[in-house]
Amino acid sequence: MRIATAKETYIADEGLLVTATQRAWMGVLLAMLVLAPFMLNQYWLYLACLVAINVASATGLNILTGYTGLVSLGQAAFMAVGAYTVAFFEGQVGTPFLLNILAAGLVSALVGVLVGIPSLRVKGLYLAIATIAASVILHFVFTHWVSVTGGVRGINVAPARFFGLELASPFALYFVIVPITCLMVLGAANLFRTRIGRAFIAIRDRDISAEVLGIPLLRYKLMSFALSSFYAGVAGGMWAYFFRVVTPESFPFATSIFFLAAVIVGGLGTIIGSVLGAAFMTLVPELLKYVVDWLAPIFPNAGAALSPVRTIVFGALIILFLVFEPHGLAEMVRRARRFFHLWPFRT
Amino acid sequence: MTSLNRRQIMGLAAGAGLASAFPGFTAYAQEKEIVIGGSIPLTGVFAFAGVAIEAGMSDYVKLTNEAGGIAGRKLRLAYEDTAYKVDTSVAVFNKLTTQNDIHLYYGDSTGFAKTINEELNRRGTILMAGASFGSELNNPEKYPFQFMAGPDYVEMFAILLEYIAKAQPGAKLVFVNSDTEFGRDPIEASVKRAKEMGLDVVAQIVTPPTAVDVSTEVLKLRRANPDFTIFHGYVLAPLPEFMSQAKQLGLKTKFMGTFWSMDNSLWANVGAPADGFMGVMPYRYYYDTSPDAPILEKIRKLRPTYQATGYMQGFLTAMLMGEAAKRTLAAGKELNGKTLKAALNSIKDFDTGGIIGVPISVPGNSVPVGRIYQFNAADKQMKPASDWISLKK
Repeated sequence: MRIATAKETYIADEGLLVTATQRAWMGVLLAMLVLAPFMLNQYWLYLACLVAINVASATGLNILTGYTGLVSLGQAAFMAVGAYTVAFFEGQVGTPFLLNILAAGLVSALVGVLVGIPSLRVKGLYLAIATIAASVILHFVFTHWVSVTGGVRGINVAPARFFGLELASPFALYFVIVPITCLMVLGAANLFRTRIGRAFIAIRDRDISAEVLGIPLLRYKLMSFALSSFYAGVAGGMWAYFFRVVTPESFPFATSIFFLAAVIVGGLGTIIGSVLGAAFMTLVPELLKYVVDWLAPIFPNAGAALSPVRTIVFGALIILFLVFEPHGLAEMVRRARRFFHLWPFRT
Repeated sequence: MTSLNRRQIMGLAAGAGLASAFPGFTAYAQEKEIVIGGSIPLTGVFAFAGVAIEAGMSDYVKLTNEAGGIAGRKLRLAYEDTAYKVDTSVAVFNKLTTQNDIHLYYGDSTGFAKTINEELNRRGTILMAGASFGSELNNPEKYPFQFMAGPDYVEMFAILLEYIAKAQPGAKLVFVNSDTEFGRDPIEASVKRAKEMGLDVVAQIVTPPTAVDVSTEVLKLRRANPDFTIFHGYVLAPLPEFMSQAKQLGLKTKFMGTFWSMDNSLWANVGAPADGFMGVMPYRYYYDTSPDAPILEKIRKLRPTYQATGYMQGFLTAMLMGEAAKRTLAAGKELNGKTLKAALNSIKDFDTGGIIGVPISVPGNSVPVGRIYQFNAADKQMKPASDWISLKK
């Protein structure tokens, strides 16, 4: 049982990792992340990269929706902007891939600011509709601005190159995607130790009160949109290098719902929630396939017959989480930590 | 009585998730077997086709194994559901190719075919076909390890145009397509081709893929008053609505479609408004009792109820893959993308057992053959309206 954590300075009070246990676990996690590419096969590495991309985007959405309280259903469109930016810069300008990914974030942030302008006047469902409208407009642009986007056929993206080394396989891309995502998650965690992050939370809790406290709503709401879109843009940029083809159908509207579901299942307004939610939404459908594999010897034609059941089970799992754990997976982690803190006593 | 509390329920759910992470059943490749991998959409918007495709491929595998396999090797289909999502399809590809020694693969969409192409080129060990007839894929230089078991969408239009040019020279046409990559695929090239054939494309109508209310589009159609209206980029909706409204307005235009709109059961459910609908079909229908179609007879014995067009597509794709493997092994070569593709391209005047009514060749990445069928609402069946049309390159 941990008795207490003495914090002797304000800096210590604001620290992300305040106990030796936390630092040790973080060390284990980082070691696992470093060793993973040498231990996992191509399938699991592919999934690891996909999870990392989704974590980056979900973290961005959590900044906007979870921390600032602005509901957005445009995350997929912002990712698409990032993906197209990378495809354009890689194909037409030939700039280095890290610069392209940064440009993807910046262009998406700019688009995010434009889309966020209505947020001063509308919120909740109305804002969600406004972001859907923006997605539709962006989809139209992707389809019809043929000289830049390649129209409905899209653009093929050349593999990322780093000092002449081609980053085409999940193994190689892991060393780009996972560190970038880690940096982004770390950035988001730090954000909420700053004035800007706290202003976002104040806006979420009561925007009128926040304004009375001296927080300029428009500036901070647009900043939140810009940050969220930046995250989506970078995620989209990594996506473009990962899948190497970008078309208007690469980021359907359902992807935005996927990310909203991820942050809700993971835990709104928590960084760890974004990570767990994105991992849950990406991995659980894959893991459920193993159940189908198990049943294959006893259930004739299991693959075809049980796939719809698998989809139902996945949906039911999400509903179960919402009903039994409305604060998301993050709350389960908190409870587990509390259990060990207080052990052998019960909470 | 024992009752579960919230934590226990969540713990059980988490436990189930973790437990499922460990593959208890893995289909390890057995010696002397040829594995066909598959990213097949068994759920999602394309499930109607995926389920049929899986059935067709499985039946080909079964029939081939019953006949002794290919060069003494048994065939096996290893597939997983993709829900018609590109990222899931790639995950399935990675998973199956990690678990099995795969040289033949079935992909579920144009998006997947484009995405995985670089990986296929990099590996050079797999020949892939799939549900896509995207004309972009019919390019052996860019897609050297892919093919499609039928004509691409531009070729499907070309078959329709050839029929129209013969039936009514100088006819007026309207193209109606969905605003998707699938829908837009053949339009530009086909407008050009129609012009070359002396046909007049008087209007092009683009609709959202899920359009329900098409009254404005039907008014455009009335203004254009074409002899033929060709739909592309849809499965069924909004075709029946288009046809019903056009008939109410007294339009005499003949409606046509391409492969994915040609399933018999779809139109049988539509009923009277479907009467006269025509389209291009690369394969014979399940119920075709032509004497030169012994494979269809076998299929009917295996499956006594109607099988959708996707079934024939899956069956023929597996058959062409099997034939390519057979020719490669007969030549004493190892199975890889290059040898399999070369063997596939050596197929000339090949008898498909009646799935296609004429001997076929695979000169490039497609099989440019098709036939015009017309729906007869009284018999609830698609009936041949032309002979088989083979496109000359």
